[in-house]
Amino acid sequence: MDGDEEDHVFYGTPIEREEDTSTRKRKAAADAGQLRSLPVWKQEVRDEEGRRRFHGAFTGGFSAGYYNTVGSKEGWTPQTFTSSRKSRAEFKQQSIYQFLDDDEIKDMGGHALETSTQFDTFGFTAAEYARKQAEKEQEKRPSAIPGPAPDDIVLPATDSIGMKLLQKMGWRRGHSIRETKADSLYDARREARKALIAFSSAAGEPDLAQIESSLSGNDELIERSNDGIYSSGSTPVYVLNPKQDVFGLGYDPFKHATEFRDRKELHEARRKDQDNRKGFPMRKNLFASNSGKYAPGFGIGALEELDVEDEDIYASGAALGYALEETEVEEKEPAKVTQNNNKLEYRKQGVISGFKVASNPDYNVERFHPPVIPQNFEPVHKFSSPPEPASKFAEALPQEVPPPEDSNLKLLIDGLATLVARCGKLFEDLSKEKNKSNPLFSFITGGNGHSYYLRKLWEEKQKHGDQQKQMDTKSMPSVPKLTAESRGRILGERPLEKSAESSSSVVPKEIIHLQSNLSDTFTKPASLQQAQPSESEKPFKSDPAKQKRFELFLKDKYQGGLRSTHSSGTDGMSETDRARERLDFEAAAEAIEKGKRNKQTNNQSVEQFLELARSGDLHFIPSLGTEKDQSSHDEEKTKIYPKREEFQWRPSPILCKRFDIIDPFMGKPPPLPRARSRMETLIFTTDSAKSVQPAKTEAAERDALRISQPKILEETKLNAEEADNELNLANVERPVDLYKAIFSDDSDDEGDFASPNNVDDQEKKAEGANMTLNRLVAGDFLESLGKELGLGVPSDTNDGPYKANLETGGDGNNNISSKNERSGLEHQSSNMLWENKEPAVSKSSSLEIVMGNVSSGAQHDMIDKRAFPLEGDVLGNTDSRRSNRSISSSGRTIYSDHQEGEDPSEEKDHRSNRHKIRSQHRRRSRSSDSDSSSDSRQRVHSRSKSDKRSSGGESRKHSKHHKHKRRRSRSRYSNHDDDRDRKDDHRRKDKRHRDGASDATYSKHDDYRKYR
Amino acid sequence: MVAVTGLPLREAGVLKGHEGAVLAVRFNGDGNYCLSCGKDRTLRLWNPHRGIHIKTYKSHGREVRDVHVTPDNAKLVSCGGDRQIFYWDVSTGRVIRKFRGHDSEVNSVKFNEYASVVVSAGYDQSVRAWDCRSHSTEPIQIIDTFQDSVMSVCLTKSEIIAGSVDGTVRTFDIRIGRELVDDLKQPVNCVSLSNDTNCILASCLDSTLRLLDRSSGELLQEYKGHTCKSFKMDCCLTNSDAHVTSGSEDGFIYFWDLVDASVVSKFRAHASVVTSVSYHPKDSCMITSSVDGTVRVWKE
Repeated sequence: MDGDEEDHVFYGTPIEREEDTSTRKRKAAADAGQLRSLPVWKQEVRDEEGRRRFHGAFTGGFSAGYYNTVGSKEGWTPQTFTSSRKSRAEFKQQSIYQFLDDDEIKDMGGHALETSTQFDTFGFTAAEYARKQAEKEQEKRPSAIPGPAPDDIVLPATDSIGMKLLQKMGWRRGHSIRETKADSLYDARREARKALIAFSSAAGEPDLAQIESSLSGNDELIERSNDGIYSSGSTPVYVLNPKQDVFGLGYDPFKHATEFRDRKELHEARRKDQDNRKGFPMRKNLFASNSGKYAPGFGIGALEELDVEDEDIYASGAALGYALEETEVEEKEPAKVTQNNNKLEYRKQGVISGFKVASNPDYNVERFHPPVIPQNFEPVHKFSSPPEPASKFAEALPQEVPPPEDSNLKLLIDGLATLVARCGKLFEDLSKEKNKSNPLFSFITGGNGHSYYLRKLWEEKQKHGDQQKQMDTKSMPSVPKLTAESRGRILGERPLEKSAESSSSVVPKEIIHLQSNLSDTFTKPASLQQAQPSESEKPFKSDPAKQKRFELFLKDKYQGGLRSTHSSGTDGMSETDRARERLDFEAAAEAIEKGKRNKQTNNQSVEQFLELARSGDLHFIPSLGTEKDQSSHDEEKTKIYPKREEFQWRPSPILCKRFDIIDPFMGKPPPLPRARSRMETLIFTTDSAKSVQPAKTEAAERDALRISQPKILEETKLNAEEADNELNLANVERPVDLYKAIFSDDSDDEGDFASPNNVDDQEKKAEGANMTLNRLVAGDFLESLGKELGLGVPSDTNDGPYKANLETGGDGNNNISSKNERSGLEHQSSNMLWENKEPAVSKSSSLEIVMGNVSSGAQHDMIDKRAFPLEGDVLGNTDSRRSNRSISSSGRTIYSDHQEGEDPSEEKDHRSNRHKIRSQHRRRSRSSDSDSSSDSRQRVHSRSKSDKRSSGGESRKHSKHHKHKRRRSRSRYSNHDDDRDRKDDHRRKDKRHRDGASDATYSKHDDYRKYR
Repeated sequence: MVAVTGLPLREAGVLKGHEGAVLAVRFNGDGNYCLSCGKDRTLRLWNPHRGIHIKTYKSHGREVRDVHVTPDNAKLVSCGGDRQIFYWDVSTGRVIRKFRGHDSEVNSVKFNEYASVVVSAGYDQSVRAWDCRSHSTEPIQIIDTFQDSVMSVCLTKSEIIAGSVDGTVRTFDIRIGRELVDDLKQPVNCVSLSNDTNCILASCLDSTLRLLDRSSGELLQEYKGHTCKSFKMDCCLTNSDAHVTSGSEDGFIYFWDLVDASVVSKFRAHASVVTSVSYHPKDSCMITSSVDGTVRVWKE
């Protein structure tokens, strides 16, 4: 077969044999013709295989897609989809094939859709193509005309069909369609040009080829213009040299003076050469492409080297039209410019081709000459003070001259000299001027006594200079010399010094207390300190030894440093005495401190207090607050307030989230119930007898807290030390234990500390929640009592008042056991248990137990300390008291008041009864608050219409007023007792003031009163 | 008294519509609109510059004491004597939510920066924060450390500042979890922040405005001369923080120099107590409201 095919030549397309096409296909083809004749509803759709595509429901539905699905061989996944997991966002080019069916593609016969140039009758497509091409080229090379090339210039590179026809008819490119007539002028010119070429090549032009090409380009241009083939606009011209000048199209500057063209070319060629030599590749690029067509006379002066030839050209005054004018301007330039040729060179580079640098630009940079530096200028700065004496000595030292006889004159001279020395030469001139006529002043100008004057002046100047120098030296060095110590002093630090005095105490004790001592090294800044206590601050004048101790105490308190323990055991004071004295000191110090704060030292109040202190009956701090507030309330109001206090506050997590703030308490355990709530429970739930207890113990607790400060601890015996240690332990463990004790089985409890609680638990289990709370609160007081006992009095030295104290403590216990059986029992029983268990430590047993109990009280401390650790540290001793107070004041409880402590005991009972009752009332009133207020509001609204003064502010007014009252009732429990009277007055006044205007809130107010 | 330029001393318009006392008037965030509320249980939206009343919001059952609008002007919050806080849609005028929980009248209400939380201060001695994002109408935080009615609240990005009749200005710093109590010893009527948020201006019921330094709690200056003894009256700083302004119970408006506390200008603005002043955030423009039922616009 192959052989046959090689031998034979086939013409035409072979007829397909019938066997080759499948019968089905044939049938389909036949049907197609057939079907077309059928009405629409009888036509059938068949696929390429001739199968029916649409069936009835019983014959299989329709058959379309891939086996009647919308899927494909690859599955349902679209072809274009690629998982971006592995191959990221691959750009897939879409082709037309993706949108065609298989049969359509088949119909296309494998040919892609394209535009073809075949029938490009007018060459538009080709022109388009060429333009694109030209644009592309243009991007690559610089051109005089920015932007895309205009259509006129870009001509189709391929011939249009018409051109082809013309060409076939014998037309040639560059010829007119009309019959060409020989132009004699043209011929002559051509000849001349040829001669010129010959001439220039003879002159040994190095870049001959270049010229040739450019010349031929020009020739063509001219040829074209001369031939007048303008009629055939579509005549394609091979653009060899793109137009890069700024002449109008077809303008030839050398039309009638061709010789200049050569000149120009020659010149350009040379310049190019120079560029090459200079190695300015960039510049060459910039200009080289331009050079071929660059028009002479156009900005030549600025752009090109100013050669002699150039000048010659222009000097000749060739008839170059407008170019001449330009050159004339520039002709003058060389002379001017040559001197700063460099600058020009620089400027040249920045000029866009086709533009020239203006000869005298509008924008003139004003140049300033550098200031003339005086000859004697020294570039080193000299400071005035040190060299002054030198200059002084450099002055001619006037001779010692005896003063003139006239004492008057002498006086005058002396005076003037001093003045002049102080005020400078100006003064001399002034006085000279003024007293020109006065013969007395002739010494200035050189009369009698001039020499003496000079001498005196010199002396004075010397003196004055010395003084100044001294002043300078005095002020200068103190500033920058800031040593670590001085800085520390400013900041209130105190260097850690070894407390050598504490020889009496055991070393490990020191270590234990090191931390607390460290905290004491931070004291108030030096600026706040007063070095010595003033007279008013010597409260113990009567007892110099005590005063001395007091001062020592003050020093310790405010100046910090390691606590000196020399006070202990030096003068044979008993521990209790010392403790008591210490309390006195504390109080006195506070009084002094407060007095200091009030600028007007109201010694009175201090003294007042001190008298009380001296009387000796008071070992607890009397309420300084009241006395002082009474005496100096107005000042305090203005001076001390606003007062700032800080508390811990726990924002809810959701609030933090909504404020877009990280919860500061994130991950911390839920807040422990505030002291307040516990106290309130006590007040509300205990009956009258019980509430005596808190009133009594309150002061004790406060004191206990104070005593628990490190210094005292140091002074106490080892037992106390241990207790303290255990206190610390308890501090850590207590929160858990406490709750465990209340809510969990005794099986959970473990360890030594739990054992007393164990007993408690067993007893307590039967009791209700209310009782546990009671116990808890009572426990607090017990703790505080115990703390006092344990810390203030070691078990072996309970003598004197402390014994009494102990007894009162015991009383407290008894009281509790009688009034609050739960807690009292608990305490005692636990005490007993403890002793049974460990008789060996019975000495400290009670102590330890109470220590265990103290924990919750101490816990308060802990919380507060955590809240402001720094402050606590700084304030050292006073810290716990303060924090304690802050708790209580925020809790609005009876705790906060100092007065309570000093109240006589019988009044105490009375008052606490009142407390209870009031608190109950308050509670009731609070609970009924909403009712009453709503009632009243009802009334407001019924009345508001008629009420002529019913304004918002009005109601506000009354409510505020009423608030005062509420506040007052509350303030009995708070720190502001002293305000009470004032407030009452205020209230009364208010009431009077507002009697006319009755408002509903008022009635609400009255409701309150009723409840109270 | 020296004539001072740059203060809005000229009356540019009167907004009338409220029946009865207007208790508060507030510019919106950009100062183009203002909201007033009053004893007639309505809130009113105005364009104070053109003197146009735009909308009235009615739903409150009692007087409306304070109103605040979100920075995007989409939502309102108002509070008043009916112990509820109303969360409104500005455009439709519908109440989106009511927050109940205050035991008593609500004195002041503010949105936080993101308009996600409403903080209210009430006569029940508490400050409560309410969540606008969830559907819960329970407060997300109750601050009840106050010892008396809380009169005014304002917010910074991370702090809640509230002034109370117990004489304290309390700053609750959410970021640190700290409560700062500045005890002024005088019932605080209104607290407002300076524009640089470094100072608090507290209006006290002893007819004194007090300027506190926020960082130190120091009393920087006291402004006296006006009468403020029994009404809740607003005070504010001017947009440039150069002057302090407040109304007076005799219908005057006072301007003090911030630094030397001298009365720079005072003039009679209303027939009765000036309950509220609000200063334009950018321009020298101010609106005041009064018990006489008018809102007045003041311009330079």
